[in-house]
Amino acid sequence: MIASILLLIIASLLSLFFVYMAVTEKDLLKAVAYSAGQSITYSILLQAMSTPDIVMTYVAVSVGLYSALLVFVISKTERFER
Amino acid sequence: MSRRILVLMLLFSATLIVSFTATIILNPATPSELKELAKYYVLNTINETASPEAVTAIVWDYRGLDTIYETLVLYLAIVGGLAIFKMSEEALLKTRIGLTLLTKTSTKIIALLITSIAAAIAFHGHLSPGGGFPGGSAVAVASMIIIPVFAAGTLIEKGISSTKLVAIRGAALTALGLVALLPVVRGLEIVTNQKFYPASILGLPISGSLSLYNLLESLAVASGFTAVALYLSIPEEAYKGGSSA
Repeated sequence: MIASILLLIIASLLSLFFVYMAVTEKDLLKAVAYSAGQSITYSILLQAMSTPDIVMTYVAVSVGLYSALLVFVISKTERFER
Repeated sequence: MSRRILVLMLLFSATLIVSFTATIILNPATPSELKELAKYYVLNTINETASPEAVTAIVWDYRGLDTIYETLVLYLAIVGGLAIFKMSEEALLKTRIGLTLLTKTSTKIIALLITSIAAAIAFHGHLSPGGGFPGGSAVAVASMIIIPVFAAGTLIEKGISSTKLVAIRGAALTALGLVALLPVVRGLEIVTNQKFYPASILGLPISGSLSLYNLLESLAVASGFTAVALYLSIPEEAYKGGSSA
């Protein structure tokens, strides 16, 4: 019980940290990496709330597909935000 | 930079301590019994759909029509995305040089691992957590790491063109529609499961139409996302020459 509460709090705080870093980062590739980190903490949260079906879709889409799509898009424009 | 992170760390540890002690002191009561709706699904899913997995049963049986419309929406989104890109496979053939041998070999191993896990997710979807969409998108992740490493031109040379992928997607979705429509022939409702399809074949539990839906959906999702990735990997220079055509 206590361990799961700690896990929930730490994962949600970490996700907040990753979101902050992704928004303020000027290097877009690093921002994509932070966004993937945020998705990983969200999937930890979902697993802690025992929803394995959603975790599988969420990990595949938000860590894999979404990041890969953004990297493809960044390769067509500039890497650094001005 | 470092001061900003220090402030964040302080804020986070303060929040952690406050929220943890608040949860321990207030001690929110966890519900001791299920709601009526949850009880219904827990007790009846295995008899009504021949599947122990309530989520897949709800997605493809109880609310099957919703999921089929959702699949159609994704299909239209991918068709719209592909319509924006100009179809020119000659441009893709120019990009034939991939990354180094080391990267290629490790990518082969990783892609094989991802694909086997994806197959487990998709084909066990009616027995354990998972299903067609997660399995298909996991396959798409594998193809999305293969495309930049081996270069899109190499894939097209081997015969994996986006036209073929879109054709696979169309065929899979047509088959999915047929699976949903077939019970109507016997006068049953659309997306009927247990009254029309068998619960197991040769002792293998297939949960009626649920495993068919999962298989076809994973094929459709994987080929659709792979086609989009192939088009996205066309370099910008390839567009510049052919604007007059």
